[in-house]
Amino acid sequence: MASLPLGLTNALQFASGYPLYIALILAVWAYVGIVLQLGPGLWWQEALVSGLVTGWIVGNIPLGLTVGATLTLLSLGLWTYGGATIPDFQTGSIVGTAIGALSHGSFAVGLAVAIPTALFMTQMDVIGRAVTTFFIHGADRYAAEGNEHGVAAMHLLGQIPWGLTRAIPVFLAVWLGAGPIQSAIKFLPSWFTNGMTTTGMILPALGFAILLTMLPVRRYWPFLLIGFVLFAYLKVSIIGIAIVAVAIGFLMDMLRTRREVHV
Amino acid sequence: MSEQQIENGQVATATREIVALDRTTVLRAMLRHLITLQWSWNYERMQALGYLYSMLPVINKVYKTREERITAMKRHLVFYNTNPQVGSPPIFGATVALEAQREGDAVDSLKVGLMGPLAGIGDTIQAILFRPIIGVFAASLALGGSIIGPFLMILSGIFWTVLMVPLFFFGYRQGTGIVTEVAESGRVARITDVATIMGMVVIGGFIPSIMSKVQTPLKFVRTVTVQGQVHTQTVAIQSILDQIVPYIIPVAFVFFAYWLLRGLKLSPVWVMIILFVVGFVLAAVGAL
Repeated sequence: MASLPLGLTNALQFASGYPLYIALILAVWAYVGIVLQLGPGLWWQEALVSGLVTGWIVGNIPLGLTVGATLTLLSLGLWTYGGATIPDFQTGSIVGTAIGALSHGSFAVGLAVAIPTALFMTQMDVIGRAVTTFFIHGADRYAAEGNEHGVAAMHLLGQIPWGLTRAIPVFLAVWLGAGPIQSAIKFLPSWFTNGMTTTGMILPALGFAILLTMLPVRRYWPFLLIGFVLFAYLKVSIIGIAIVAVAIGFLMDMLRTRREVHV
Repeated sequence: MSEQQIENGQVATATREIVALDRTTVLRAMLRHLITLQWSWNYERMQALGYLYSMLPVINKVYKTREERITAMKRHLVFYNTNPQVGSPPIFGATVALEAQREGDAVDSLKVGLMGPLAGIGDTIQAILFRPIIGVFAASLALGGSIIGPFLMILSGIFWTVLMVPLFFFGYRQGTGIVTEVAESGRVARITDVATIMGMVVIGGFIPSIMSKVQTPLKFVRTVTVQGQVHTQTVAIQSILDQIVPYIIPVAFVFFAYWLLRGLKLSPVWVMIILFVVGFVLAAVGAL
């Protein structure tokens, strides 16, 4: 990976933790990422994107990519249905990559930090969603007065609780937390590194399992088998499988509509 | 009294004054909806305030008196929530057209009537079909060290954002007609069904391909006697497994996690903790 650009800084130069400006940049990035997810929905909050950008800022893009990719595979079936709170893999990816980059333990450290962070951040998500309620009550008042500018301001300010509930934890974790956490885990026992690496490999099973719980597996399980056989036995590439999937999807539709016509 | 003539979804006939919206107003409303819809998302009324904010340019154009504007603003401050990128643009487009015809009641019933069905369609397509497939592609590229992975995610976000523009104008041109378009439930069910089948075929292939590195290094030694001579052989368990069913270990892990979620009704967090324990134990004994 030596050919990849190192990035804005090199984390390994900060022996005892990150300086203020790195923490600020990452906090701003977290704020922008979540607000642009709310609208227009740019996917900058995705763990992979956050991992890449954080990796670039702290000078370890490969780490950002692996942490981001592992978190993405873990979150395959997760979606904020109707405003549900899910683990915050955006913040997890930022903090995990930043702290992992400080340490030579890299991926094991990154994942060990990223996952608890993502889980803890569900609390912050609930706070962000709840505090914004004040703004809609403000909007009620302004609307009753016929003050359109007030209503507009309430809406535009609504992003602040959302952004700050991400930016503040990122700032604190990177500025104050990174040094102590990193020195605490400086000498990682090999069983820990091996365990984290192995767990990182099997965690996608959870992503797939969550996804399967949202699909009609009992009714449509043969289609899973078709995809499996295409890859495992026939060695078809994923693009090839996707093309077959399109064909099967429309074939099933043809068969079904045909039956309806004849009956 | 023109107000009494309004029935849900019916076009008013008599004294209603229809305001022709200029292009700038329509575009401003569309962009406000596209860029900021969920910025003030909250537990109480979710996307309501974002909807009102987006509608403000239209309200200002259509309603001349302050009282009318207050009434219109209050109407939009009720609960509203749907899929923001696939569901909301056509609804918003249709209601912009209706608001210009001063069809307040029709606007309200259209929002309430369509936000549920369109949330279902939008979430199915985005969360079950599109994001998992792109996510797996992107993640496997990234695990290989390629920054194309994250850029695939960025392109996806841009794709869904750009798609909001035609979806808005679709709704804007349809007006109330959008209800009949969506209400043809057979069609919606067909689209989601085809999407689900495609998703399942691809996921069936993704499970072994993404988790192909999950293999056991375990070996055992056996002695065989060939023509009276005793040989010792080292046999890798993985190669035996591959002869029976390839990728059996990844599949077993997915089944295990699925069983914990579905069978034992554990939350994803507990399943993750269990997988951590299993991963550490298997790594410690050298089985994975």
